[in-house]
Amino acid sequence: MSKPEFVYVIYIASTPEKVFAALTDAKMSEQYWAGNRVVSDWKIGAAFALKLKREETDITGKVLEYDPPRRLAYSFHPQHDGMGGEPPSRVTFEIEPQKDQVKLTIVHDGFEPGSKAFEHVSRGWPFVLSSLKSYLEAGRVLRAHWYEDERARQGAA
Amino acid sequence: MGKPEFVYVTYIETTPEKLWQALTSSEFSKRYWFDTELKTDWKIGSPFALVMDGTTTDVGEVLEFDRPRRLSYTFRHVLDDDMRNERPTKVVFVLEPHGKLVKLTLTHEGFAEGSKLLDGISKGWPAILASLKSLLETGHALTIPPAALAIEGIQ
Repeated sequence: MSKPEFVYVIYIASTPEKVFAALTDAKMSEQYWAGNRVVSDWKIGAAFALKLKREETDITGKVLEYDPPRRLAYSFHPQHDGMGGEPPSRVTFEIEPQKDQVKLTIVHDGFEPGSKAFEHVSRGWPFVLSSLKSYLEAGRVLRAHWYEDERARQGAA
Repeated sequence: MGKPEFVYVTYIETTPEKLWQALTSSEFSKRYWFDTELKTDWKIGSPFALVMDGTTTDVGEVLEFDRPRRLSYTFRHVLDDDMRNERPTKVVFVLEPHGKLVKLTLTHEGFAEGSKLLDGISKGWPAILASLKSLLETGHALTIPPAALAIEGIQ
């Protein structure tokens, strides 16, 4: 039984610098990541946080690699939905220029077998990365209907 | 260990009908799929072929055509000697409305252990689907050179 690992490749009509900025800038991440903000000073070993808009806690971690505009890695420890008891996992982004595009590879590994966090991120990353691509290419962001529903409920309350 | 298969999910700002058209018409596929044409009449059981620059690269038959929800065909690569001798695999597209978006799930399954074709399609599909998403959202497909994918046996 191999350990669970999530791998996703996406091609974006953009530059490595813009993709790297989008992955590391709080204001940009807020745009394409459903209001969630990546916060860190990006020094190796420094704290990383994904400030979640809807949950009451942040996803925490540490900066493992910061090599603009090629590689970025951080540890990843969600606390919500009963995932705080799992060990931290690891997210690695690799950015490769290809003609007038960028190949972005994300590997999210370091999960225990049966990890709930693994199930969560496997569902989440395709949406976040689809939205990132739309944001960089078309200046638009994708909105999941579950966020739309949330806003509608808040609006009605 | 799970069976060898490739699964890819992407979200596209379009309608199921437009995405369906893009997945089933050569007019679209030539723009986002490395200049590939889809040769089939889409009747269940009919032959299916992918033709790139006049050369047939992959063949199969139509299994499901449930517009605009579910499309599937068998898939066998015919150019590369090793891949040509692998058993036929199966490609399934599922289209689900997701608010103003469409969730597209591609499952490519039925590979033997150690399949060379699995390695090839795992590199090819992300590029094809990224290009498809760009075409539908921005009107511009991506121009990824096939050689950049570094698929063994494919130039």
